[in-house]
Amino acid sequence: MTLTSTKKYTGIITMALTVLFLFSAAAFATEKSLDDRVNEIAYLLMCPVCQGQSVAESNSNLANDMRQIIRKQLEEGKTNQEVIDYFVNSYGDSILASPPKKGINWLLWVMPGVAVVLGAVGIALFLHKSKRPEDEVEFIPADPGDESESEYLKKVDEELKKYE
Amino acid sequence: MTIVNSIIKFTVLAVIILILAVLGYALFGDRDITKTSPLVGKQSPGFTIKLYDGKRISSEELKGKTVLLNFWASWCIPCRQEAPALDEAWEKYKDRDVVFIGVNVWDDNENAMSYMEKFGGQYPNGIDPEEEIQVNFGIGGVPETYFIDKTGKIRDKYNGPLTGEIIDYYLDRAMNPGEEETS
Repeated sequence: MTLTSTKKYTGIITMALTVLFLFSAAAFATEKSLDDRVNEIAYLLMCPVCQGQSVAESNSNLANDMRQIIRKQLEEGKTNQEVIDYFVNSYGDSILASPPKKGINWLLWVMPGVAVVLGAVGIALFLHKSKRPEDEVEFIPADPGDESESEYLKKVDEELKKYE
Repeated sequence: MTIVNSIIKFTVLAVIILILAVLGYALFGDRDITKTSPLVGKQSPGFTIKLYDGKRISSEELKGKTVLLNFWASWCIPCRQEAPALDEAWEKYKDRDVVFIGVNVWDDNENAMSYMEKFGGQYPNGIDPEEEIQVNFGIGGVPETYFIDKTGKIRDKYNGPLTGEIIDYYLDRAMNPGEEETS
């Protein structure tokens, strides 16, 4: 084998290895992306038999089944929304981690904001009201000619003298 | 000042009444709380069950028959409780175009067979080899039972252990859907 042919074979092998690497990297990237999509959807769905856990977080049999179905449907070419709709069809809107922004559910999105605004207005009114009497207090100097008060002060003085 | 105070008081009262009205509507408004599944009133999802006797049964073959589809598991205590009622009801309805099917979920075959020997289940029982039927039917636990009419439409879903009376009530609704709708 000449030096030229050795270089030629080395080149072919290098090229083949590069192509192989690129294909496996692409395959890995696709697999990774499917996993990501499964997780993405699983986090949007609540596990029906768990307490406040999403399908992604739960280890229950049902959550496991649901994750497998998500994967299968994505592999079949369904979009994320189509997969979510499938679960909503079987379990209703309660399966969704975030209630859909429609009908009465709008309240769930709007009420926190409204509550904050109303709370702020309430606090502002309270502060405004509680400040007002202090501002309006008029200083009334004691009337030096008030007989009853001078009598009272005399008595206080007498009582104090007893303890001196 | 008195007028301003009155306006503030009136506004606060109006806001409170509005909030209570909205919450009341949210709780008791247009929601059908008697519906135990969003599938009620819709066509039943298609299914194929691999029965423990080796046969297969599919939803297509069941058209024209009333179907009681019961989801159970061997580790489920309420399932044991309802098992005698299901067997008795099956004896009562088997010759009246009613098919009972037990679907074993989240279980293993050995335990399921042993359960059936101990607690009953004379009617066809089996599993979905694809393990999808429980999700297709929106099952959240066991026992849960669907009542499907002759047209393949889901009439009702019952969550929890069945009794003879409950089975009679729902099967009657599934067997006579026309009467129910016109009444």
